[in-house]
Amino acid sequence: MPDWKKIVREKLGTLPLTNGRRDEVIEELAQQLESAYEEALAQGINEQEAMRRSLAQFKDWEKLRSEVFQSVEGARLPVWEQHGFFAPRRWPVWIALGLTLSLFLAPAFRQALAILPVPEADPTAWGPRIFPEKVLRRIEQSGDKQKYARSLAFVALHSPKEDDERAVHAAEKAIALDPSLTWIAAKICHATYSYPGYDPHPWIERFKAWDPQNGFPYLLEADANAHWWEPPWSKYSPTPSGLGAALAAEPRWRVPMEKAFAAPRLDLYEAQHFALDRQVLQEQGFDRPDMLIAGMWSQPMPDFNAMNFYVDFLLHDVGEKTEKSGRLEDTLAAYEGLARFGERLEDPSSSNFNLQLLSAKYRMDAYRKMAPLLRRQGRTQQSADVEASLASLQDPAKKRPYLLSYEVGERSGRIVQLSGLFLSLFFAATVAWLIALGTLRWKPHLSASLNRLASAFCLAPVLLLFSSLALFLGYYPYARHIGQYSSLQELHQGFMPFIMGLYDFAFFGSFREPWLTIMFWPTIWCAIVALVGASSLWLMRRRARPNQPDAA
Amino acid sequence: MATASDKELKKGNAELLILALLEDKARHGYEIGKLIAERSEGVLRFHVASLYPLLYRLERRGWVKGEWEPAGGRRRRFYRLTHTGRKTLVEQRSRWRAFSGAVNRIVEAGAAHRSAVNSTMEAQHA
Repeated sequence: MPDWKKIVREKLGTLPLTNGRRDEVIEELAQQLESAYEEALAQGINEQEAMRRSLAQFKDWEKLRSEVFQSVEGARLPVWEQHGFFAPRRWPVWIALGLTLSLFLAPAFRQALAILPVPEADPTAWGPRIFPEKVLRRIEQSGDKQKYARSLAFVALHSPKEDDERAVHAAEKAIALDPSLTWIAAKICHATYSYPGYDPHPWIERFKAWDPQNGFPYLLEADANAHWWEPPWSKYSPTPSGLGAALAAEPRWRVPMEKAFAAPRLDLYEAQHFALDRQVLQEQGFDRPDMLIAGMWSQPMPDFNAMNFYVDFLLHDVGEKTEKSGRLEDTLAAYEGLARFGERLEDPSSSNFNLQLLSAKYRMDAYRKMAPLLRRQGRTQQSADVEASLASLQDPAKKRPYLLSYEVGERSGRIVQLSGLFLSLFFAATVAWLIALGTLRWKPHLSASLNRLASAFCLAPVLLLFSSLALFLGYYPYARHIGQYSSLQELHQGFMPFIMGLYDFAFFGSFREPWLTIMFWPTIWCAIVALVGASSLWLMRRRARPNQPDAA
Repeated sequence: MATASDKELKKGNAELLILALLEDKARHGYEIGKLIAERSEGVLRFHVASLYPLLYRLERRGWVKGEWEPAGGRRRRFYRLTHTGRKTLVEQRSRWRAFSGAVNRIVEAGAAHRSAVNSTMEAQHA
């Protein structure tokens, strides 16, 4: 005769009941098995089969254990006593947690976590949400201490608006240490730069003297000399014959504009800015392409509106008036000057979309005026050349590959965003689970609610692993060390669409998205297959266990 | 094998079955399981794994009381109804009668109507 009590005790494992209740339960269940065994023997069934039949009454001992405890105590089995597949006493849940932690060894995963958007973060502006102010201060202090010009230049370029004075001091120190950094003066002699008693003109003169062939300092000078949004200019209408002509009547604005448009070079120092940001971020341990992109938003730019006013002045006041007065060579010179300026504005290595648009617009405006004028003068070949240039600028096919890659990047960004959202939720659930688990380890009977929470959240580490893997795999194609980006253009084309998709969560699910239109039905089919599979498994399980204990 | 309708019938009435079986005399778990199968002529069968948790739950609620008593040369845990359990049984039985009576009236009325129609048709054919 088998020792039924021993069998039940072994199969039931630990059953944390009080006051000898555990032994009573074991004895009662053992009697059930013994009675069934004896009955089978009495029917002439051999011992082995009788024993098998008897034991078959209780297939799921873990479930029985849990139900017995719940029935006797009126509460869930303590989480540390549970033996389910994802219970804390079993290894799968800890393996999942370990695998999640091991993902931190992968730089791509760390980078993916770091770039996830935080509330109120804006990837199109350099701000404390992107780069903490205390870090900027630390860089300034270490730059001061080590007399390191590039750190100080970084501070000058990225100080917040309310700290303009600090930026000026940092720029002064950086340029004194390394005069090749004088281009950072563009930042602190910008028209938007101001604090009481500040005069940008000494900086502009210094900048002009340092790079006299460049039109940029002259554009900044024009911007500093006439704030078109303030009186007396604000009373003029910003139409071709309005504000442009009024501003041009002011020599302090017109002359620097003329020089800027006539200068042999137009360098906005985008490449230098990029190289400086990349180096300092690397040195400070910020391997963050998103930070590098955000850093470029603080790059000083000339006032595009002011440039447009001057272009209007050139086209309508200079060009048309000289044409009417018959001075056609002066007219052509004005248009040609505009076209050349447009060419200089187009920097192939630049990623600034506004600059590209302006460059194309200025050239097209100039070519449209030049072509008929040249034809009238009988300069057929020159007119044909200009028309060919105009046609190439109007060719929309040139823009398509860029736009397509933009869609792909944005889509990836949204997938990573979604994975990040789930990761955050499951991370919070895992932390809650661990806290509950730790507390219950310390005081097992502290709270039934805590035990319920710990039992319910036992899947959280596994889900955290899956969401971490989704984030890692979603981001992996974009994971690159910032040192691997050789130019801002490369960074913009490779990473900018992704980061815009990452932050553009509000538009997730738009039916304009090709992903949804292509993947909608396959997704539905996958869901149906999964549903049928799950139902089949459930049915098989039901058949394997007839008379499911549904009554209880 | 239990069908979906068996399941519906059993659902929620498992407690009533056990309380009813304990109305006349105290019984042990093995006996209860066997009696349910026997008295329902095999239509209702309790999975033993759910019978004991249910008995413990009823005991915790104070509807039944389990006590060890000698039986057949060994000691067994016998369950008997408490006063509260008896009151509960009366309530549950009353509810069940109302429910099954209502179902019966609908089901049997349909059968009676069909039978009447069949008789009429047979008479017409004859």
